[in-house]
Parts: sequence; C-alpha cells; structure tokens
Amino acid sequence: MAEQGAADPVNNNNNNKPEASEGTIIKVTVKTPKDKEEIAIAEDASVTQFKEEISKRFKAKQDQLVLIFAGKILKDGDSLSQHGIKDGLTVHLVIKTAHKATDGGSTSASSSASTQVGSSSTSSPAANPASTTGPAGSGPAPTQTPNLMSGFGDLANLAGLGMGSANFMELQQQMQRQLMSNPEMLSQIMENPLVQNMMSNPDLMRQMIVANPQMQQLMERNPEISHMLNNPELMRQTMELARNPAMMQEMMRNQDRALSNLESIPGGYNALRRMYTDIQEPMFSAAREQFGNNPFSALGGASDSGVQPSRTENREPLPNPWGPPNSSNPSESGGATTGSTSTSGTTNPSVSNPLGINPGSLGNGMFNSPGMQSLLQQISENPQLMQNMLSAPYMRSMMQSLAQNPELASQVMVNNPLFAGNPQLQEQFRAQLPVFLQQMQNPEALSVMTNPRAMQALMQIQQGLQTLQTEAPGLMPSLMTGGIPGVPTGGAAPAENPASSPSSATTSPAQQQLMQQMLQMFAGGGGGGSGGAGSATTQTPEVRFQTQLEQLSAMGFINREANLQALIATGGDINAAIERLLGSQPS
Amino acid sequence: MAQSNSSFPVKLYIYDLSRGMARQLSPVMLGRQLDGIWHTGVVVHGKEFFFGGAGIDNCPPSGTMLGDPDSVVDLGSTEVNEDLFKVYLDSLAESTYSGDRYNVFEHNCNTFSNDVAQFLTGRKIPSYITDLPSEILSTPFGQALRPLLDSMAINPGGNNITGQR
Repeated sequence: MAEQGAADPVNNNNNNKPEASEGTIIKVTVKTPKDKEEIAIAEDASVTQFKEEISKRFKAKQDQLVLIFAGKILKDGDSLSQHGIKDGLTVHLVIKTAHKATDGGSTSASSSASTQVGSSSTSSPAANPASTTGPAGSGPAPTQTPNLMSGFGDLANLAGLGMGSANFMELQQQMQRQLMSNPEMLSQIMENPLVQNMMSNPDLMRQMIVANPQMQQLMERNPEISHMLNNPELMRQTMELARNPAMMQEMMRNQDRALSNLESIPGGYNALRRMYTDIQEPMFSAAREQFGNNPFSALGGASDSGVQPSRTENREPLPNPWGPPNSSNPSESGGATTGSTSTSGTTNPSVSNPLGINPGSLGNGMFNSPGMQSLLQQISENPQLMQNMLSAPYMRSMMQSLAQNPELASQVMVNNPLFAGNPQLQEQFRAQLPVFLQQMQNPEALSVMTNPRAMQALMQIQQGLQTLQTEAPGLMPSLMTGGIPGVPTGGAAPAENPASSPSSATTSPAQQQLMQQMLQMFAGGGGGGSGGAGSATTQTPEVRFQTQLEQLSAMGFINREANLQALIATGGDINAAIERLLGSQPS
Repeated sequence: MAQSNSSFPVKLYIYDLSRGMARQLSPVMLGRQLDGIWHTGVVVHGKEFFFGGAGIDNCPPSGTMLGDPDSVVDLGSTEVNEDLFKVYLDSLAESTYSGDRYNVFEHNCNTFSNDVAQFLTGRKIPSYITDLPSEILSTPFGQALRPLLDSMAINPGGNNITGQR
C-alpha cells in the first residue's frame, strides 16, 4: 500500500490542490505543542509521505517526527487510512531533536543543554526535560524515587490562594474576609438579583444555613433555631426584609422620626441618646464579629447590621426600653440568648440572629428585633451596663416623664414603625403602658433587670414559652387564660405565634390576648421577678398577680400577704379577692 | 526508531475541589446545579500529570494533597512511551502550558488534561469538566466573583515541575 501512494506525491506537493487523483485530498491538522498547521494530503497516502509534507512545513527532519493519532504512533510503513485519519481530523506531532529536547525547530540546542539540570543521571546523552525522568527507553526510572518523596511531603504549594486548600470552608472564610474588607463588593452581591432570588427561597436558605457546621453547633445548643429555620413563613419574611433595602431604609426613616419626637420630651433625651450610643457600639462590634463567625449572616445580615442599631434606637421611645428587651424575645433564635453563652459576645449575636437578618417584619416585629436580642444579650452579659443605664439620673427622669405623660409615650409608640402595622398591638401597648411605667419605677423591677441571672431566668421562661407554643399552639390560648407562667418577655409569645401560625402577618386574636398576658406578666413579673427569678418555667403567684396586688394595695389593702392569699384563692380575680379580704379583714 | 508498540493505559483522575460543597450550594449560589469544582490529572506511565499555578507538574498517582480522586475515567491507552511524552510535555511547558499561562477559567488544569488526553489517546475528557468555567461564568454570581477567582491558582502541588530550569 505504501507504494501506491508513490504516484501521488507529485500532486500532494501542491497544497490546496483539490485535484482528484487516486486518492482524494484531505486536510489534516497537524498539531504540535506549540504549533498547528493544516496539511493537505492524499487520503490513501502513507505515513512516510505525510511526514515528508510535515518536514517541509515544520522544517524538521523526517526522522525527528513522531506522529500520534488516537493514541497510536504512526509508523512509516502505515498508511493514513489504516489509522483512520480522515479529513478534518487532528494528528499530533512531536519533533524530537537530536537531544530529545523541545520541538518546533528552534532553540532545541539551548533547551536540550539546559534540561540536563536536575535530571537523574542518564546513560544516554539525551537530556530528559523533566527533572524526574529516567534514562531513555528504560521505562520508569528508579531515579524518580527521591522526587517521589518530595512530591509526597511537599505542602508548600498550598500557596495557591484559597483554592490550594482542600477545605472549602477555608475558602469560604477567605471569601468572607474579602467580602468584609470590601463593603462595595458585599453590597453588590446583595443587590445581585440572583442573590435576592436565592434569599427569597426559604428552603434554600435553610439548607445553606443548616449546612454550615457552625450553625449546626448553634442549633444543637438552641433547638429554637431549628424551629425557626423550619418555619417557612418566618424564613420568607426574614428574607424579604433582608432583601429589601428599601424596606429597611423606610424603617430607619421612621425611627428617625420617632427619635425626633423623643427629643422633645423633657428630661435629657439627648443624654439618653448618648447612652444608647454606648450600647450601639458593642452591638455593632458584635455584629461585626458575627460576620466573622457566621458566613450566612454575612450574606444576609450585612444589610441588616445597619438596621440592628436602628431597631435598638426604636426601643428608646418606648417607655420601657428594657422592658421590651426583656420581653423582646430572642424569637427565632429562640432564647438563644439564654444561658447558651453569656460570655462570648461573638457567638451570641449569631445565635440570636442566625440569619443575621432582621425578622422585624414579622407579625409582631417589635420583639423580634435582633437588635433587641443583641441588646438583651449585652444586658444579660453586662449587668454593669444595665446598672449604668438604670441608675442614670436622666433615665429616671425620663421614666418619670413618660409615666406622667402616657400620651407622649403612646405617640412615640405610634411612630415606631414596628407598631405601625399593628394597631391592635398599639392598643394593647397603650393599655399596658401605665402598668409598664409603674413597673419601671419599681426598683424591684430595675433590680431584676440588673441581675443577669434574673435576666437569664426570664429569658429561659420565654424560651420555654416559645417551645410550648411551637409544640402545642392550641394549648396556648387555654394557657393564657390560665395565666401563663413566665412571660416577662412579652414579645416572645407573639413572636412565636407567627412562628407557629403561618398566616401571621397580622396579630391574631390569640396573639393579642397573649400579648396582653405578656404585658401583664411582665408588669407583674418585673416586680416579682426578683422573687420569681428562681423558677425558670413558672412564676410564683406573687408574680402572676403582681398587677392585682398593686391594685389592691392602691385600694388600701396594705396587707400584701393577705392580698396574695386572696388572689391565689380567687385565681387573680380582683373583685373576688376584695370580697374575701373584706370578709376576712375588718379593714 | 525507538518506538515500541507497547500500550500504556491512560486514565483521568477527577477531583472535586469543593469536597461536595458545590453540589450542595451551587443551586443556591449560582442558580444552577454544579456537581463539583473539578480538578483533573492525567495518569500515565505510573505518574499523574497536571497543570497548576506552577506549571506542568507530576506526582505519583493520587499523590497530591487532594488525595484520592473522586472518580476515574479510563481514556484508553496510548502507544506514546514515556520518553516521547516527556518531550511532548517539555515543549508544552515552554509554550502554552508554562506556569504563568495559568488562568483558572480559560487555561487551567482541565484544559491541560484535555489536551494531553487528546494527544495520548485522541479522546477528549468528559465535557462536564471542560464546560465548568463557562457554566460558572454564565451565572451572575460567577461573573461577580470573577475578579476574585482570577487571582487564584489551583495548585495541588506535586513539585515535579516540567520544564523547570
């Protein structure tokens, strides 16, 4: 067969000459490591002829050429068709120099000389390019062994940024750091509609979050987190808020308006502001640290970190800035603030705010604010902080003025965007305001708040309540009427109600009822908290009936013990208690 | 001609750099399912060859810090013996696959593996591997991260750099 092609070389010498001869001309691409050329050759040409062409084109000697096709080395005696080389296919070429160095017909001498370096000793003059190859034609060289060892032990090439790490989590951390150091990048990512789409898909977000081992740790410690994560409605609302910078801006604007209202109140509101800055600072730093710990909060919470302090600010106008924090449940975090960690401020924020997202848009937003939660943590961790806050003279004066001026307080509340969507809530709060304010004046209540253990106990109570709600939502109404134990964190239950009842955008009647109970409880629990702090899940009757006790004592029944007995006997019914007292007491 | 007719098996070692995270997170982060961030190496003549930030590299099979491959594809066999392969690799290292030519999207380890596989066996590597960069870049997220990723070089490290002088 090789002879047949002999007649054709004449034709083949002319490229691009599609003369139909004994064999049709095919165009074969010849590819070297450096180069690529298209060679026209007869279909039935031999390899030798092919090489002739190639040697002309590549300016190399024929015996330097090694042709490879489909893993086979083309020998001179073969024909192209034998190997199945057809038009348009690619054949690989390696040009061997005399020293078996590079091909390409250039710099072969120089490269061959230099490739001697590092190569294992070879008997043949052929300089093996790679430092590990053995003598030519001897198969795998034993001289590779020393290099083998270095190959195994060499981890220095981890220098490849991030990607060099076998651990994707490390890469993630690096990316996170990059994101943190470049806020623009973060905002770009947040604005990315894809990210927003992702975040609007609660299932995906949940998966992401759950997949984070840090989150898994947190979830182990705080089952409430998994409760929250399992609530699609909650997640959805959370995502919406995080996704929607316009919404957050709106809230911030409202907050600003509320603050300006506050300023008009006599009694050093500017001082209050200053004080709150002190609180905001640690919260900010906590939030920052949170980013370091929780990658997903970085994704979802960055835009929210600005809101967190704003949420705290919102607490200012409320007559009882610490009441709501107490009552503000570490909702989604489900009491994560409780006992979980009291020392490390870093994990706390992330625990209480696993998504780093402000769930404030939830039905009962006020208490769900992660800002409140962080504040709460701060408070519980730093009793001194509470002491400072409460003992500040201007604080007292503010309380006084608020107590005396419930109208102003309610007005402030109305402006609070958290309440804006919940007229019922506003009503409730307004109703409870006097009680609240009274409680705030109550030194006992204050001492409770300064007592970190008490705070933690309160949070535990709330936590228990939340669990209860998620476990048995139907039970709650009956429990409510029966006097729910331990609800100083008033917002907890309402917050959980949204959690358990998917249609929670508005306060349900049960929710309102619960809310009222919460407020009452807190009002009663604040004063009795110091006494009831010991009981984590139940409140003493004293706490439960605090309100009634107050009323009774206001009416003139100064015998607290008797009042309490009467109240217990009548189950909190003041009128009946009065009857009893009048019946049993001469006064 | 010192060419033998022996046949050397050629295999493709495929590694998932993300250790499974891509499979989990890609629908969320990118909007499309990626089963992995693939790194490949060609194993022939008892060695694994790959292209990294440092250039063409080789090591014993599964000898990089990535450990064992997630999957192995049999590319067939080749008649190209080790010597010839070395010549080939060397010329590659001087030209299109020198260390500074590395680009994580356009000219990466998988590009190299693809070329080498075609040289040795005439077959390409599975397309899901070579399509990966374009898949990533076709997502907005990938585009956003591109500047960051471009600066990266994947270098599992064999420390037997071809063509090092």
